[in-house]
Amino acid sequence: MSIDDATTAANDRLADRDDMIVCVDVDKFYGDFQALKGVTATIKEGEVAVVCGPSGSGKSTWIRCINRLEVHQGGDIVVDGIELTNDLRNIEKIRSEVGMVFQQFNLFPHLTVLDNITLAPIWVRKKPRAEAEGMARALLDRVGIPEQAEKFPGQLSGGQQQRVAIARSLAMEPRVMLFDEPTSALDPEMIKEVLDVMKELARSGITMMVVTHEMGFAREVADRIMFMEGGEIVEVGTPEHFFTNPTEDRTKLFLSQIL
Amino acid sequence: MQDANQVSASEEFQRGLEEGQGSPHEAPSLPVGQWLRKNLFSNWANGILTLLGALAAVVALRGVLNFVFSENRQWDAVRTNLRALMTLSYPESQYIRVWVALGFVVGLAGLSAGIWANWGGVSVRRISTWLMGTGALLALCVIVREPSVILGSDGKVIRTVDGSLRRESFMDAMADRSTWWLAAVLLLAVGAALWSRFSDPARRRIEVSVTSVVFVGLGLAILSLWIAPYGHYAYISATKSYVAESGRTVAFSTKMPWTVMLILLSGFFFVGRFFQRGRYLGLVKGSSNVLWLISPLTLFWVVLRDPALDYGHVISTDLPMGLAFGLLGGALLWGLTRSDIGEAGRITATVLLVFAVFNWVAAFFGWYPMLQKARISFLLLALAALLAPNFIGEVAKRRQLVLGWVGVTALVHYLATMINTPSTVELQSTEFLGGLGLTLFVALIVVLLSFPLGVLLALGRTSKFPIFRMLSTSYIEVIRGVPLISVLIFFSVMVPLFLPDGMELAELAAVLTGYTLFSAAYLAENVRGGLQSITKGQYEAADAIGLTSAQRTGFIVLPQALTVSIPQLVGQVISTFKETSLLAIIGLFDFLRVANSVIPAQSEFMGVKREGILLVAMIYFFFNFTISKYSQRLERRVGLGER
Amino acid sequence: MASTAPASTHHERPPLYRDVTVVKWVVQIIALLLTLGALWFLANQAGDNLKASNVPTDYDFLSVNPGIDLSSGIDTDPDTGGRALWVGMVNTLRMAIAGILVATVIGVLIGLSRLSNNWLLKKLGTVFVETLRNVPLLVQILFYGAVFASLDRVSLDVGPVNGWFHVSNKGLSMPRVHIADGFYQWMIVIGIGLFAANLLRKRRIAQQDLSGEETYPILSAFGLVVIFGALGWFIHPIFGFVGNIFDGLSSVVSAVPEGALQILVALLSVGTSVYWIRGFLNSRRTPAGLAKLTDDDYFRMIFAGVGGVLGAVFFLVLWPGLSSWMINSGSDLFEVLGNKFGNGRSGRPVDVALPDIVQVGKFPNYGPSGLNFSIGFAAVFFGVVFYTSAFIAEIVRGGILAVPKGQTEAAAALGLRRSTALRRVIIPQAARVMLPPLGNQYLNLTKNTSLAIAVGYSDIVQVGQTVYNQTGKTLPVVSIWMFFYLSCSLSISVIVNFFNVRMRIVER
Repeated sequence: MSIDDATTAANDRLADRDDMIVCVDVDKFYGDFQALKGVTATIKEGEVAVVCGPSGSGKSTWIRCINRLEVHQGGDIVVDGIELTNDLRNIEKIRSEVGMVFQQFNLFPHLTVLDNITLAPIWVRKKPRAEAEGMARALLDRVGIPEQAEKFPGQLSGGQQQRVAIARSLAMEPRVMLFDEPTSALDPEMIKEVLDVMKELARSGITMMVVTHEMGFAREVADRIMFMEGGEIVEVGTPEHFFTNPTEDRTKLFLSQIL
Repeated sequence: MQDANQVSASEEFQRGLEEGQGSPHEAPSLPVGQWLRKNLFSNWANGILTLLGALAAVVALRGVLNFVFSENRQWDAVRTNLRALMTLSYPESQYIRVWVALGFVVGLAGLSAGIWANWGGVSVRRISTWLMGTGALLALCVIVREPSVILGSDGKVIRTVDGSLRRESFMDAMADRSTWWLAAVLLLAVGAALWSRFSDPARRRIEVSVTSVVFVGLGLAILSLWIAPYGHYAYISATKSYVAESGRTVAFSTKMPWTVMLILLSGFFFVGRFFQRGRYLGLVKGSSNVLWLISPLTLFWVVLRDPALDYGHVISTDLPMGLAFGLLGGALLWGLTRSDIGEAGRITATVLLVFAVFNWVAAFFGWYPMLQKARISFLLLALAALLAPNFIGEVAKRRQLVLGWVGVTALVHYLATMINTPSTVELQSTEFLGGLGLTLFVALIVVLLSFPLGVLLALGRTSKFPIFRMLSTSYIEVIRGVPLISVLIFFSVMVPLFLPDGMELAELAAVLTGYTLFSAAYLAENVRGGLQSITKGQYEAADAIGLTSAQRTGFIVLPQALTVSIPQLVGQVISTFKETSLLAIIGLFDFLRVANSVIPAQSEFMGVKREGILLVAMIYFFFNFTISKYSQRLERRVGLGER
Repeated sequence: MASTAPASTHHERPPLYRDVTVVKWVVQIIALLLTLGALWFLANQAGDNLKASNVPTDYDFLSVNPGIDLSSGIDTDPDTGGRALWVGMVNTLRMAIAGILVATVIGVLIGLSRLSNNWLLKKLGTVFVETLRNVPLLVQILFYGAVFASLDRVSLDVGPVNGWFHVSNKGLSMPRVHIADGFYQWMIVIGIGLFAANLLRKRRIAQQDLSGEETYPILSAFGLVVIFGALGWFIHPIFGFVGNIFDGLSSVVSAVPEGALQILVALLSVGTSVYWIRGFLNSRRTPAGLAKLTDDDYFRMIFAGVGGVLGAVFFLVLWPGLSSWMINSGSDLFEVLGNKFGNGRSGRPVDVALPDIVQVGKFPNYGPSGLNFSIGFAAVFFGVVFYTSAFIAEIVRGGILAVPKGQTEAAAALGLRRSTALRRVIIPQAARVMLPPLGNQYLNLTKNTSLAIAVGYSDIVQVGQTVYNQTGKTLPVVSIWMFFYLSCSLSISVIVNFFNVRMRIVER
């Protein structure tokens, strides 16, 4: 089953939606090491796509190319109709339309939780402070930590920090959310609280691309799962297809190791 | 030439953390015998080292005491020249200006201390150990100092046939020093009394606030000026004669101002304390910071220099110009922060910048005349216009930018006018201020000016733009590779050659420029250390939420980097202060030069150098030691606060 | 369906002013041009002003008699300006090297005493460090200078050890151990000894590894060197023939044609940059062909290429005199070496001379026989040594404290003795932390010797100032200062880096 077939065979719900992220033959080199080898995929509006694969398979690199934290060297990436080129204006636009959540949270330790969240709305979106703060408090409520607004990130637990990071991304009202292994740096008891927030988000209809090893999460909310290895997408399919009868040997091996 | 005072600071900080949050001095105290065995005589080798160390300490102490109290020392040279050491040639008739400037700084310091300082407490038991320690040291000093030389009836020393000095017997010497003995015993007794009274577990933890200890200490010191017979000394420059009357209290013109200083300090301290709890804390904090920033300039050029303002010119030119820049510039900025400005904003800012830079080029080539103030204002306006896109949005934010602009314009025009107006102070040498005043002024200006330059250089060196990196790196490395003295000589000798016809730079200005450029290179390295400690994730997160690179630098990177490098920056401030001593070599009259060349040239004190230099050393030590200790405390507290 | 990217945006180039790459490089090139323009403007201005004031900026003064006397150094009455500056450089280096050695010893001792568990030593160390590093070096130097100046007059009967060691208002004088007749030949013998000792040491280590028995490799190697030294004391004249070899080399070098050397140097310059670019391209090569190069990569290659060509142009066109200078100085060098190893040299390699005192006009002074340190030297020396040692003490203390406690405990748990643990575990780790700041302090010490100008010790800055006061050639003198100090900085950082790299390899 080819990749294109799998893409069209994805969830019917998404069949007539617009394309949100389109990647065609994306290449990425680090010196003489090729991290991405002609990655081609399309993610629909409102789709929840989970990317998995062994470490070093290029999944983080790919997701980081999508908001140009890394610059791809070959192929095209188009996000919401905007092509990622050297155009300053396009980069600005994409950055404010694509939210990103990192493995290490990357909250700003010198700012309070509230300031972390309102920084971009005030200075990038040019919102009045009062409005931005109101929205920030609403978002904190949504991720379940309304009482932590005045604290500094260093005073929060890992799970709380990651939820603040999600709120910070949401504050820009993005059309796409990228998650780069959001639970890998968390203690086991905190993973659930972050996953719950992500599940709620997935149901709200935002486009999500998630790099994760949490297969339970993938099974529950993913519209599609992509398996990467060696810088290539090896297999794409619905969770059902992916977990019950994967076609590729490499996928089977990976699943046997991780499950 | 720069150094690393911070090494110890960060370690102490580390150890402070290891020792836990509580005071590290609360370990249960051992009986004296056990303490001695544990800390001094734990084994044979240790015992021998202790004895050798004690011997060396006593010999060194004896040497210092004999040197300081020797009959050959002419401390009168320092006493009579104290004023010269502080301000050198500042005229007697206008001396009140020096006191006003000092009073301003003291009051501001009191205010800041009141707002910020939270020095905590110190246990009475610790105070008692200090008292006992001081008493014991005093007694030791009295014993180890060699007996005094016997003076003949004419007040001259008596020499024996072979030329050596005749000294009194040991017992006589001890008897002569009865006052000192009394003081030592008193200190020991008070200390011991406090110690025993506060030794039971319930009282052991009783503390008094450091603030009150400091104020009581200062108060006692000032009070002693009115009581203790320190002697009345003065050098009268007009007649080149000096007054030396021992046995009197100090002159009224000394003790009165210092008393006022104490009142100012404590008064403003309580004002600060009052605001610490009040609603206007933010406002007071902000304005005291601004005052600190502008006070060196204002005090030096306005208060001390007393410019003779030409009011006709002020009303016809200066005032309208300032108003025009303030109002028209403010209006322009108000327009530039409209939310629908779009590309027009960037284009306007760029055009302004080109125009402003062109004005400076034109100035160098003398194409058309323009007031320097206007050139500076245009440049500032262009920079403000570049910043304007950040302030687009609600009215409050736009108002912030416009008000900021009006404030900066007012300040710049005021200072520029004052600096351009000739001084009314009767000059007695090329610079109207010398001595410690000049040293402090140079150190302050260099620190203030080199800071932004250093930060820019550090950003350039860590930039991902190769040409910026190359330029900053080569600048920093070249400057760091050569000694400061060669840079200073270069600037004081060469700068006149580099300037176009008709432009002049005073010696002091040339030296300030050179020193600032030098200091900035070292500061850049310290800031770079902080910049490198910022993780890649912080940059990525800032990019991911859409901040521009200027916003990323200003909001995310610099605040963190500067906090991390506080110890290094304080070390840099200390270095800068220490190196102002080099001014003495290139011909400016700082207080080292006064001690090393001016006093030894006076006919009464021909060749008397060591006393003055020792005093200079003590003053430098006092400032540097205080700053480094305070920064260590601060660092420990900031570090603990983050946890 | 996957590849239906909107055609309108496909590979459309953005306008130039919005293209990241274009903006990035335009901004940088403008900055570069502005900087170069400002420098050019200043240089031009200085040139005009110098011309107007009739002080040409040339280096002729280097070969003209400056008519100055120096207070101390290898030649106190130099016959050319160049010689005078050379004496200043030697004085600076002498002070710096001696200072670095002594300051390191004192600093390490004080640093260790601050870490000892002896209360008194700890406090004394703290007082030493806090006092010395909080008082400016210049103040200390002036103070020591003033103290020395107030000492007693010179006399052979006064001094801590009469006839051997004297302290007076003219400075210090002590016996001088100096190079005598057969020194360089003796050095050849010792060099052979060192070579043999190294072989012996390796052999012994191999033996020890094989048998497990202690074979004292360092001790035996040291012994061998001592034996060679003693032997060489008597047999060194047999190496007189080395002088002839150097004489031969001297004539060979002087026969090299100038043009050939010039072309060689230019080729070397271009060749180096070509070699670097090739190496760089190779490092970017992938199995699938050349990887895509970023604009930074292009910048580096262009920079290297331009640098190489500029170097060649510099040697060929701008400074053609370099080749003849290189040939002359090379041949001179070999000639001097030939003299040092001359056949006739058969006397003792090393000799000792005691202090003496001569009458200079009305005043007695130390004669040239002993090893004399003027007040200036002593003041600067004590100043930089004490000042720097305070900082070195802090570095040593910080370095040792930086080794986690767990390391000591782990070593103890393995059953290592305390000395072994220190040598094998603690010090290697502490040294790695200490080395970079230590290098910085050595650099500072070297630069700080320039304060000698305040007490009249003839270092490079003081001599330079005297020279430009005489000749008015400020700019050339300043350029020589810069060149000298930058070379010093560079050599110290190269040395420190060398040890740094070694230390890391040893550790891994």
